[in-house]
Amino acid sequence: MGINLQRLGVLIRKEVTQLLRDRRALAFMLGLPLLQLFLYAYAVNTTVYHIPMAVVDQSQDAKSRAFIQALVNSQYFDYTRAMESESAVITAIDDGVVKAGLIIPPDFATNTDRGSASVLMILDGSDSASVTSGYSGASLVAQNYSLGLISEQVVRKTGFQSAGQLNAASLPIVTSTRVLYNPDMIDIWFLLPGLVGMLLQTLAVQQAALIMVRDRELGTVEQILVTPTRPLELVLSKMIPLLVLCLMALGVIVGLGVFWFGVPFHGSLILYFWLALLFIASSLGLGMLVSVRATTQRQAQQSALATMMFGLLLSGMIYPRLSMPLIPRLIGDIMPMTYFIRISRAIFTKGVGFSFVWQDALTLAIYVAIILLVVARSFRKRLD
Amino acid sequence: MLRRTWAMAQKELIQLSRERVLLAVLLLMPVLQLGLFAAAIHTDITHIPMAVADQSLSQASQSYLNALIDSNYFDIVANVSSQDDLMKAIDEGQASVGILIPPDFATQITLGQANVLVLIDGSDSYITNSAYTTINAISQTYAISLTRLPANPLNLSVRILYNPDLNQLWFLVPGLLVALMQGITMNLTALAIVREREVGTIEALLVTPIRPIELMLGKTLPYLVVAFVNMTSIFLFATLAFGVPFQGNLLLFLFLSLIFAATGLGLGLVISTGSQTQMQAQQLGGMFNFVGMFLAGFLFPAYALPLVLRVISAIFPMTYFLPIVRGVFTKGVGLLAIWEPVAASCFLMVVILFAATRLFRQSLD
Repeated sequence: MGINLQRLGVLIRKEVTQLLRDRRALAFMLGLPLLQLFLYAYAVNTTVYHIPMAVVDQSQDAKSRAFIQALVNSQYFDYTRAMESESAVITAIDDGVVKAGLIIPPDFATNTDRGSASVLMILDGSDSASVTSGYSGASLVAQNYSLGLISEQVVRKTGFQSAGQLNAASLPIVTSTRVLYNPDMIDIWFLLPGLVGMLLQTLAVQQAALIMVRDRELGTVEQILVTPTRPLELVLSKMIPLLVLCLMALGVIVGLGVFWFGVPFHGSLILYFWLALLFIASSLGLGMLVSVRATTQRQAQQSALATMMFGLLLSGMIYPRLSMPLIPRLIGDIMPMTYFIRISRAIFTKGVGFSFVWQDALTLAIYVAIILLVVARSFRKRLD
Repeated sequence: MLRRTWAMAQKELIQLSRERVLLAVLLLMPVLQLGLFAAAIHTDITHIPMAVADQSLSQASQSYLNALIDSNYFDIVANVSSQDDLMKAIDEGQASVGILIPPDFATQITLGQANVLVLIDGSDSYITNSAYTTINAISQTYAISLTRLPANPLNLSVRILYNPDLNQLWFLVPGLLVALMQGITMNLTALAIVREREVGTIEALLVTPIRPIELMLGKTLPYLVVAFVNMTSIFLFATLAFGVPFQGNLLLFLFLSLIFAATGLGLGLVISTGSQTQMQAQQLGGMFNFVGMFLAGFLFPAYALPLVLRVISAIFPMTYFLPIVRGVFTKGVGLLAIWEPVAASCFLMVVILFAATRLFRQSLD
C-alpha cells in the first residue's frame, strides 16, 4: 500500500476544514476535558474528614470525654449531637442526619483502669467513602489512645516516672515509612497521570468515532469514492488532524497539572510526549475500528462510549489491576490505556527512563501498526 | 387529547423500533455497565508485591517477615541486598513495597529499639493507601506482642450498618440506578425532539392540530418505557445475579422513581431547546450528568466537598435522589426518614417541568 503524499495533504486539508467548521462542537470537545480535570482535582478526596457523628456517652466522665476529644481532634469526626441510646443513633443514621455513632458504655471509666474497656462505633454502610475513612480513622485513634493507657499503667506499676508518655515510637520495632514519589500522599499527584490517559482516551476515541461517520452523514462519501484515494491514505488523513488536536490537549492538561495544580513532572517531557503520541494513535485507531460500521453520529457515539467504559474501568486507572480476576484483566490487556497508564505513572510520577517502560511502549507501537491496517482493510470493504 | 398524544407516541415507537442496533445498545448498555463494574471493583487489595532487603538474616527478622506474609497482604517477589535495589525494584514496577531490615535488627530488638525502613510506591493511590495502613498496623501489632505490656486496654468494635462486609457493589448499585434513570430519560427525550428539528419534520408536526403539551408527552412517554425496562433489568441483574439486597418497600421505590424519570424528561426538554443537533444535545446532556455525578455524592460524600461545590450541587436533582435511593434501597427506611430530600426533589421537579414547558413552547414559536 503506497501512500501518495500530495493526495494525503489534500485530504488532510479537507478534514481540517470540516473540523474547524463546527466551532461549537470543537469548543465543547476541548472544553470538556478541562472541566473534567478541574472537577477531579477539586472534588476528589480519597480520605474523608469531618464525618458527622452522634455520641452516646453513658459514662460521662473525664475518661470518656478525653476519648471523644481524641476522635474530634483527629479531624476524622465532627461531634454533631449527643444522644441517649443506641437505637436513637441508628435512627439518626437511618435518617441520614449523621454518618457515624459512638457508644461509650457506663462502665467505661472503671474498665479503662482495669485495662479492659470497650466502645462501639456504628458506621453508615450506605456510603462507601464515609465508611472507609471512618473505619480507619476510628481504629487509629483507638490504637493511639490504647498506647497512652498502656504507658499510664506502666508508669503506675513501676513508679518509673521518667518512662514518660508511651507511644508507637517506644515499641521495640519502629517502622519508618516513606512513600516514594508522593511523600505527603496528595490526591491530585496520584490522580493526574491516570487522568491524562483518561482524558486523552475520551477525546481520541470519541472524535475518531465521529470522524468516521461524518462523510457519510454529510453525503460527501460518494465524492471521495470516485477519487483514486487509497484506504490507508483516507485513514491517515482522518487520523493526523486529530493526532495534532489531541497532542495540543495533552500539552494543555500537563501544563495545567504542573503549573496550576503543582504536580511535579519527574521524567523526560520529550519521551512522555513521544509515548503519548503512540497512545493517542492507538486510541484513535480503536475509536475508528469500533465505529467503522456505524452510519450515524449517534451510533458512533454509543460504541465509543462503551469502548471508553472498558478502558476506564479495566485499565487500572481507577481500580488496581492487581486485585482483578483473570478475565477482566485479559480484557483490560486489549485496551491501549492499560499500557499508557503504566507509562504515564512511570515517567510522570516516578521519573524513570525509557529502559523501564520499553515493553509497554513496544506493545503500543505494535498496537498502532496492527490497528491501522485493520481499519484500512475494513475501510476498503466499505468502499466496494 | 389522549388520542393525539397516543398517535404521537406510536410514531415515536415505530421510529425507535426501526433503529434495531440503537435499541439493542440502549437496552444492553446498563447491564453491561453493571457487569463491568462488578468485574473491575476489587478494592480489597491483598498480595501486594514486596521486595525485601533482609540484612539481618536472623531468627528475629524472619519471624517479623513471616508476620507480614501470613497476613496475606504481602507477597515477597524479590530478595535484594540494599536500599538502592529496593528503589530499583519499585522504579521498575516489580514491587510496590520495599522493606529494609538493618543488620543489627536482632540485637536492637532486645534493646527495644529496632528500626525498619518501609518504602512504598506512591504512584497508585489505592495500593499506596492500603500498603501504608496494613504494614504499619501489622508491624505495631507484632511489636506489641513482643513486649510484656498488658494487652490492648481499649477495645474498639466497629459495626457497619446495611453493608457489614463492605461489599463494593452494594455501595455502587443505588447510585448507578439514579444515574441511569435520570440520564436515560433526559438523553432520550432531548435526542427525540432535536431529531425532529434536525430532520426538519418539526414544521410538519406544528401544522397538525397537536398541542405543544401533547407533542411533549407523546414524544417522551415511549422513552419512559425504555427507562423503565432499563431500570428493571438493572434491578433484577443486581439483586438476582449479584445478590445486592433490596431492603425497602418496592412500591415506594417505584413511585419515587417516577419523580426521577419526570425530572429527567423535564431536563431533556430544557436541553432540547438549547441544541440544534443531536450531537449537541448528547454533549450537553452528558456534561450535565457528569457534573451531577461528581457533585451529588456518588464518589465522595457531599459534606466532604469544598463549600463552593456544595452550593452548586444543591441545584442538581441527583443530589437529592441519591439519599432517597440509598435510603429505600440500602437502608430500607420509609418515607418519613427521607421526606426532606423527597420534598426537595419534588420542588425541583416542578420548577424544571415548568421551565421546560415554557422554554419548549417558545422554541416552537
